[in-house]
Amino acid sequence: MKKSILLTAVTLLWSATLFATGTQYSLRVNGLSCPFCAYGIEKKLIRTEGVESVTFDLEKGVVMVKVREGVTLTEAQLKQLVNDAGFTLRSMSEQPL
Amino acid sequence: MRQIHWAGWLCGLFLFSVSFQPSAAPITFNTALPVSKGEGVMRVQAKYLRATDEPGPMNRELTVKALPIVGVWGITPRWTLFGIVPLLDKTMELNMPPGRTKRGVNGLGDVTAMVRYTAYSQDQAGRTFRIAPFAGIEMPTGEDDEQDALGPLPGSLQLGSGAWNPVVGIVTTAQSLKQEWGISTSYKFNNAANGFERGDEARLDLSYHQRIWMGGPADGLPHFLYTGIESNWIWQGKNRNNGQDDPDSGGNTLYLAPTLQYVTRRTVVETALQLPVVQNLNGNALKQDFIFTFSLRLNY
Repeated sequence: MKKSILLTAVTLLWSATLFATGTQYSLRVNGLSCPFCAYGIEKKLIRTEGVESVTFDLEKGVVMVKVREGVTLTEAQLKQLVNDAGFTLRSMSEQPL
Repeated sequence: MRQIHWAGWLCGLFLFSVSFQPSAAPITFNTALPVSKGEGVMRVQAKYLRATDEPGPMNRELTVKALPIVGVWGITPRWTLFGIVPLLDKTMELNMPPGRTKRGVNGLGDVTAMVRYTAYSQDQAGRTFRIAPFAGIEMPTGEDDEQDALGPLPGSLQLGSGAWNPVVGIVTTAQSLKQEWGISTSYKFNNAANGFERGDEARLDLSYHQRIWMGGPADGLPHFLYTGIESNWIWQGKNRNNGQDDPDSGGNTLYLAPTLQYVTRRTVVETALQLPVVQNLNGNALKQDFIFTFSLRLNY
């Protein structure tokens, strides 16, 4: 019984690690001042190949973009997407998940 | 009959004030905030206007119901295209020799196409400032030769002007997460058709909105509730009928409008009640009671 529980726990941990792979980009975007405007950026990003989710912290002007493993978004690409949405990319950072 | 012409500018300002705002911003006029390149916003408004304040014996009562549909498309991050398609129902009740008479019409009004260019923008964290001139043309798509049992309707009660009427203006918006200011000014050059020419229109619009509530999903885009006050100063030149000025048309009106606006990532639901606080009108022109607006905007 103990072995089964341990095996299940290890499997779940391994699965969680597996599903969490990828990269998260944090974009500091200037000009985001309401949710209706920000949706323009969400639409642009979510259509990009490899993007799995887009979340916002409007108070801080931060857009978090999660992409699946093996996908890389360049600064030039993100800058163009943000610009096309009518805003300004101030800075960005990335970290593996 | 020429007194009825005054209804024309009521209808004109009423429709132009439909505006073409793509964002969570003023309700009674347009804004400079962005529409993403290759993306669209649709806006449907229901507007209800009443004008019954007349000292004269005709005791005119004007009711205008309108359903303007506004489509907005981002051509580039700076260039935006607007189309305004108004559906109208106009009714005028007045005393005539046979007795109390109702005249009116309904259908498609004059469609307006417009472009806006964001000439200046300054973005900071959680705030933006933009200046955008715009220009457009009101096209004679509405019928301008409607008749009833009494004969042809006066120009102002027609669905359309029959003329091509250009408009130019500039709009400035400053918006943060908690507040928004807007200023817009515009001029519309009305031209003659079928012997009738509506007076030109100049507008100065101001708005202030304050966020009073924020909620919604914790990790997604929040929902905002704004309350605000908007003002519209409108000058209208005198109408011309067969080359003659109509002395009972045109003048100055100042409106104040309390507003309420609920904003989510994909929709904006908003309402405004425009009340005329100053009506300095020419001659025996009909004065307005109010304009009520309910509006829905969809990000698609």
